[in-house]
Amino acid sequence: MTRPTKLAAAALALLAALCLPLGLDHQGYAIRVATLVFLFGAMAQSWNVVGGLANQMSLGHAAFFGIGAYTSTLLLIHAGLSPWLGMLAGGVLGGLAAALISLPTMRLSGHYFALATLAFGEVMRVVANSWAGLTGGPVGLSVPFAPDSLALFNFKSTVPHYYIALAALCLVTAIFVWIRNSALGYRLRAVRENVDAAEVVGVDTARTKLVAAVISGVLMAMTGTLYAQLNFFFDPDTVFGAAPISIRVALIAIVGGVGTAIGPIVGALVIIPLEEAANLFLSSQVAGLSGFAYGLILIAVILVQPHGLAAIGRRFQRKSKGAS
Amino acid sequence: MTAPPILSLKGVSKRFGGLQALGDVTFDVRRGEILGLIGPNGAGKTTLFSALVGLHRIDAGSVALDGREIARMAPHRVAALGLTKTFQNVALFGEASVLDNVLIGGLLRRDVAGARAFAAECLARVGLSAIAEKRAGDLSFPERARVEVARALATEPKVLLLDEVMAALNHAETAEIVALFRQLQADGLTLVVVEHHMKTVMSLCDRIVALSFGRLLAEGTPAEIARHPDVVAAYLGREYVG
Repeated sequence: MTRPTKLAAAALALLAALCLPLGLDHQGYAIRVATLVFLFGAMAQSWNVVGGLANQMSLGHAAFFGIGAYTSTLLLIHAGLSPWLGMLAGGVLGGLAAALISLPTMRLSGHYFALATLAFGEVMRVVANSWAGLTGGPVGLSVPFAPDSLALFNFKSTVPHYYIALAALCLVTAIFVWIRNSALGYRLRAVRENVDAAEVVGVDTARTKLVAAVISGVLMAMTGTLYAQLNFFFDPDTVFGAAPISIRVALIAIVGGVGTAIGPIVGALVIIPLEEAANLFLSSQVAGLSGFAYGLILIAVILVQPHGLAAIGRRFQRKSKGAS
Repeated sequence: MTAPPILSLKGVSKRFGGLQALGDVTFDVRRGEILGLIGPNGAGKTTLFSALVGLHRIDAGSVALDGREIARMAPHRVAALGLTKTFQNVALFGEASVLDNVLIGGLLRRDVAGARAFAAECLARVGLSAIAEKRAGDLSFPERARVEVARALATEPKVLLLDEVMAALNHAETAEIVALFRQLQADGLTLVVVEHHMKTVMSLCDRIVALSFGRLLAEGTPAEIARHPDVVAAYLGREYVG
């Protein structure tokens, strides 16, 4: 697709997304799933900054997500601070945590980086479970109820959450595209391909990786607040969990297409409804069947299209180009 | 009085486990010259290049670029001060286009738009404008070696270390690269070249440094090196030296 067609397609998709709630029950299940699609799309796009542009397969992004959820919620409970401000505080802490984990792991590659980050996420989960004095431990935290208040990020209807998640997805995607086309994006691609060559032609590879990790950590932590406000309740095993968060966001980006702007969006559009459908239709039949079916479909996708679903579009493009 | 050297090595040493890869290497590179670095396989030529740009941390000795100590500096800082190299085995960013490969070098001193324009200039200098949009991973070896040169030029070095750019080139291509090197010299760059084709090295270089087993064997003009008994012995074996 050419640039104008791409922009037109994006505008059309955005318009459709803006109109969608008109046709849905405002408290219903469908709009909640749609909200989760956007939220997880935004999370996967945050991950994409490190996982896609630098090709560092983080399996520990739940650490930043949980830090965001806990920071804004604890500040709301104990200090009455608006979650909007709490989200910024969470972003700062998420960025600090990302810097902290990036420094010792940045020289690791491939599986070693994935394992180190996975361990970091798990450590955060254990800490959140054990440090009950601060986090409430395994019982989890409930977000205090406030009657419909934009200032306190608290709504009866799902519709505001829907639009906030949509805005988050657009914003994170815009940041991703901006980074990709900036000097940082070029440097990240150089680092991804050959660290020594990048250094020798003047790329500060350590700083490049650190900056990407921090941006990714900040964005991921901010989505944690969105999740907390949408869900009203969370515990360490959900927000710091490897399977529900870390691996899921990596999977969404990989299935959709790592390193592309559209990948995490496509991935979320496929995976979140697929999970919901598997749960809805199959979990009542045989225990574990939903997970089994879901897993089979994912394996099939990766086998058929290893570069992600976004690559299907590119393949068609190439064919039409070759034909003309 | 002679001008101070642009690059000065004093007692550069590097050990890999039990192997003394570089032992007490001392020589100067003069401003604006083309210096040839020769030696049998395993003499330490590529190791020396890597050590100079900071990819290997040297165990002892000092390296001064334009009077400034650069040993033990990170490679990107050495590049910023004006010293970079090409890679013998070619280390391009294979997924990126040729232009984007060179652009990354240009980012050292420019923003993206400026680096893109400068990258196009550098590609023109090495005669690769026609393939700017090709994927670097799809190029032939001689083309890739030239992209390496363009990418290094995009960092605007004072001293450029060129590691076997002419390997696998045919006669005409070699002549083109020789012309390119001479043009770069005319443009004010200082070049240090490693090449295996002796005739080319002898005719191209102003001076030659010979290494053997990581040690400096001889230093001088091509004519001096050609009749230096140690160099002849290192290349042909002691029994050929009369």
